[in-house]
Amino acid sequence: MKTEDLKNTQDYKYGFTTNIENIRAPKGLNEETIKFISNIKKEPEWMLDWRLKAFKRLQVLKEPNWQKPKYPNINYQDLYYYSAPKSTSEKPKSLEEIDPKILETYKKLGIPLVEQKRLNGIAVDAVFDSVSVATTFKDELTKQGIIFCSISEAIQKHPELVKKYLGSVIPLSDHYFATLNSAVFTDGSFVYIPPNTKCPMELSTYFRINASETGQFERTLIIADKGSYVSYLEGCTAPMRDENQLHAANVELIALDDAEIKYSTVQNWYPGDEKGVGGIYNFVTKRGACRGKNSKISWTQVETGSAITWKYPSCILQGDNSVGEFYSIAITNNFQKADTGTKMIHLGKNTKSKIISKGISAGNADNMYRGLVDIKNKAINSRNYTQCDSLLMGNKCGAHTIPYIKNNNSTSIIEHEATTTKINEEQLYYCNQRGLDQEEAVSLIVNGFCKEVLQQLPMEFAVEAQKLVAISLEGSVG
Amino acid sequence: MQQFYDFKINKIKNLSSEEKILRKKNLELFYLNGFPSKKDEDWKFTDLNFILGQNFTNIVNTELIPDEKPFNPINEFEHNFIYLVNGKLISKNFDHEEKDKILISNFDYKNEIILYRENTLNFLNNALAKDGFSLEISKNYKFKKPLVIYNYFSNSLKETIVNNKNLIILNENSELTLINFVDNNSKENFIINTIDDIKLKKNSSLKSIFINNSKNNAYFYKYLKNDLEKNSNLENYILSSGLKLNKFDIEVNHNAEYSSSNIFSALNLSNYEHQEIKTLINHNTPNCQSYQKIKNVLNNESKGVFQGKIFVKNIAQKTDAYQLSRALILDDKAEFNAKPELEIYADDVKCSHGSTSGSIDLESIHYLKSRGIPEKEAYQMLINGFLCEVLEKLNENNLKKFLLKKLESQIHGY
Repeated sequence: MKTEDLKNTQDYKYGFTTNIENIRAPKGLNEETIKFISNIKKEPEWMLDWRLKAFKRLQVLKEPNWQKPKYPNINYQDLYYYSAPKSTSEKPKSLEEIDPKILETYKKLGIPLVEQKRLNGIAVDAVFDSVSVATTFKDELTKQGIIFCSISEAIQKHPELVKKYLGSVIPLSDHYFATLNSAVFTDGSFVYIPPNTKCPMELSTYFRINASETGQFERTLIIADKGSYVSYLEGCTAPMRDENQLHAANVELIALDDAEIKYSTVQNWYPGDEKGVGGIYNFVTKRGACRGKNSKISWTQVETGSAITWKYPSCILQGDNSVGEFYSIAITNNFQKADTGTKMIHLGKNTKSKIISKGISAGNADNMYRGLVDIKNKAINSRNYTQCDSLLMGNKCGAHTIPYIKNNNSTSIIEHEATTTKINEEQLYYCNQRGLDQEEAVSLIVNGFCKEVLQQLPMEFAVEAQKLVAISLEGSVG
Repeated sequence: MQQFYDFKINKIKNLSSEEKILRKKNLELFYLNGFPSKKDEDWKFTDLNFILGQNFTNIVNTELIPDEKPFNPINEFEHNFIYLVNGKLISKNFDHEEKDKILISNFDYKNEIILYRENTLNFLNNALAKDGFSLEISKNYKFKKPLVIYNYFSNSLKETIVNNKNLIILNENSELTLINFVDNNSKENFIINTIDDIKLKKNSSLKSIFINNSKNNAYFYKYLKNDLEKNSNLENYILSSGLKLNKFDIEVNHNAEYSSSNIFSALNLSNYEHQEIKTLINHNTPNCQSYQKIKNVLNNESKGVFQGKIFVKNIAQKTDAYQLSRALILDDKAEFNAKPELEIYADDVKCSHGSTSGSIDLESIHYLKSRGIPEKEAYQMLINGFLCEVLEKLNENNLKKFLLKKLESQIHGY
C-alpha cells in the first residue's frame, strides 16, 4: 500500500498513527504474532507476559465441541491477528457499491445517511458529526472522574486498574476461545466509574468511533466502584458488514458494593445469505461478577445476526443480597443457529436472579436456550426465576431448551418454566380482520411476545430493536 | 483410582460360541470407558464411577446359587405374581387369569444379544446378562387382577453385579397392571443392572408401578425401553425410595399416532440416598401425548436428580408434551438437580416444562400449628399431600390404598 493513500484516512483521527496504518501482523498464531501486537500497542511488559501466559495455556486447551451448532474447522494459523484499519482506497467509495438489500434495511430502520456510510466503512468528510458529539461527552465524563477509553489506552494510562481487574472474572485459562482472546485481543472498551457516581449518560461503543474496526478479538472491561451506576450499550441495530468470520470477544463486568451495571447488546452481524452461505461466528464470553454487597448486574441482549451465535452472559453472585438479571431475545431465520443462555451462580446470601429468554426460530434455523442456575450450599435464602419461551415458525426449524438447575440448600427457591408454541392463528386472524397484512400482524404479535425483554432496553435502542425484530422475520410466515 | 471391578464372560455357563463372541465384544466396549462418570452428559449429576469406587472394593459377576426363601406376599389386594430371586424366575401364579392367554418363560438370550449404543452399562448388561423373564399377553386379553413381580435379592450378592433382561409384550387390545415389588433385607452392597424391553401393541394399556419395601444397600440401574403403537397407553409410577442409589433410564418411543405415555414419580429420600430419573420421550408421530410429573422430598444428605428430555420430530404435529419436576429440600445438605430439556422441530405443538425446588412453605406450617397440629405432624401432612398427588390418576382402589399406605410409612420413617 502506498503512503499517499493514507493521508486522507479518517482513521488517523481516532488515535492510530500513520505508520501503523498499513501494518499487518504476519499470518498465524504464535509468540511472534503476540509480541507483534503487544509491541504495536506499546504495551508494558506485564501485559505481554500476561498474553504469553494465555498463549502457553492455549496450547493445552482443546476447542469445545459439546455445543449444538457445529461449524467447520477453523484454521487458526491461517488468520491475521492484527491488521490496522483499512485505508480509503480499499473501502467502498459510495453507497452505490453497497448491497441494495442492506440499504433497504437501513431505510426501514431509519438510519441517517451519514451513519449508513460509517457502518459500511465508507470514508466520510473530515468533519463527522459524532466526532464532535463524542468529544463533548468525553469532557462531561472526565469531569465526574469516569474513565471511558479503549482498553489499549487504559493499559497505558491506568495500569493499576487493568492489572487488578483484567482476567479476574474470566481467568486466563477459562476455555479455548476466552484464552485465545486473552492472548491476541487487539482492542475494546474500558470503563471505570468512581465510587458514588451515577454515569450521566448511556455509554456506548457507538460513540467511540474506532469501535467499528476493533471487531474480531474485542476485550471489554467495566468496573463499577462502590455505589456507582452505569448503563453500557454494545453494538447497534443496523446490519454490520465484517470481513472476519470468527469473533471471539471477552467482556468482563465487576460490580462492587451497592453498584449496578446494566449491559445491553444488540447484535446484528451478517448472518449469511438465504442458503446459509457465509456469516459470522459469534463466540463470545461475557461474564459479570457481583463482588460487593447489594450489587446488581443486568444483561439484556437482542441477538438477530450472525450465522452462529454461541454465548452465555453470566453472573457470579458473590456479594450478599446481590442481583443478577438476564433478558434475551434470540431470533434465528434461514440457516442461522443460536446456542445462547446464561449462568447464574449464587454464592452469597439472599442473592436473587431472574432469567427471561425469548427464542424465535424460522426457516431452517435452530434456536437453543442453554442455561445454568446453581445455588450453592452457603447461598441461603436465594431465589431464582426462569422463564424461557420459544416461538416456532414452520416445521423445518428447531427450538430447544436445556436448563441445568442445581439447588444445594433448603432455604432457596428455584422456579423454572418453559413453553414452546407457534403464532396463534386466532390472533393472526384477528389482526388480519382489522386490516393488518400478514407481515404487520406477525410483527405485532412477535413484538408482544418479546415485550418483557424489549422493555429492558434503553429508550433509544428499544424503538430500533422493535423494528429490527420485525425485519429479521420478514418473509418467514405466509 | 485403582480398578475396582473384574468381569469375566467365562463365568457364564452354557454359551454358544457365537454368543461368546458377541458378549466379549460388548465387554470390550464396556471396558473402553468403564462405569460412566460425571464427564458423561447423561451422568452429569450421578458420578457412578466415583460412587461405586467409594463403596466397593472388587465387583465381580458370579454364578449364583439362588436360595429360595419364601417371600412375604402382599395381603392388601388380590393379585397374580411371579417370583424372581436375583433376577431368576423361580415361580409363578396366574390363578386369577385364563392361563392360555399368558405366555411366560425365561428370557431367551439366543437371539437377543445386540450392541446397544445408549451407554456403557447397556454394554455391560449385554456382556453379562442372564436370567430374567419374558411375558407376552394375547390379543384382546385384559388382566383381571394386577400382576406383582416379587424381586428378592439374596445375601450372597455381596460385592457382585447382577445383570438381566426382561421382555414384556402386550398384544392388541390387551391390558395389564404390573407392580415391581423389591423386597430385600440384605445389608450387603450389590449392583443390579437391568434392561426392560416393553412393547405395547395397538390399543393396549400398561400400568407399571415400581416400589421398594425396605431400605437397603443396593445400587440399581434400570433401562426401560418402551415402544408404543397406535392408541396404546403407558403409565409408570415410580415410588422406589429406599435404595442407596437408583437410576431409572426411561426411553419412550411414540411410534404411532394417538399413543400416550405418563410418568409419575413420588420419592421420599433420606440418609445418603441418591435417586435419578432420566427420561427421553421421543415423539416420532403426530397426535401423541406425553406427561411427566416428578416429585422429590429430600431429607438429610440425600440427592435427587431429574433429567428429562422431550424430543419432537418435525412431522409430529399436534404433540402435547408436558414435564414437571418439583422438589422439597428439607435439609441443607440435601441437593436437587434438574435438567428438563426440550428439543422441538415441529411448530404446531404444545410443549412445556416446569421445574421448582425449594423448602416447605412456612406459612402453611404456621397455619396448621395455629390449628393445634404439632410441628412434626404438620410437616408430615404437607409432605404427604405433596407426594400423594401423583397417585391421583390411578383408579384401582385397593391398589391405590396399598400404595398410599406405603408412601405414608416412608414419610413417617420405616
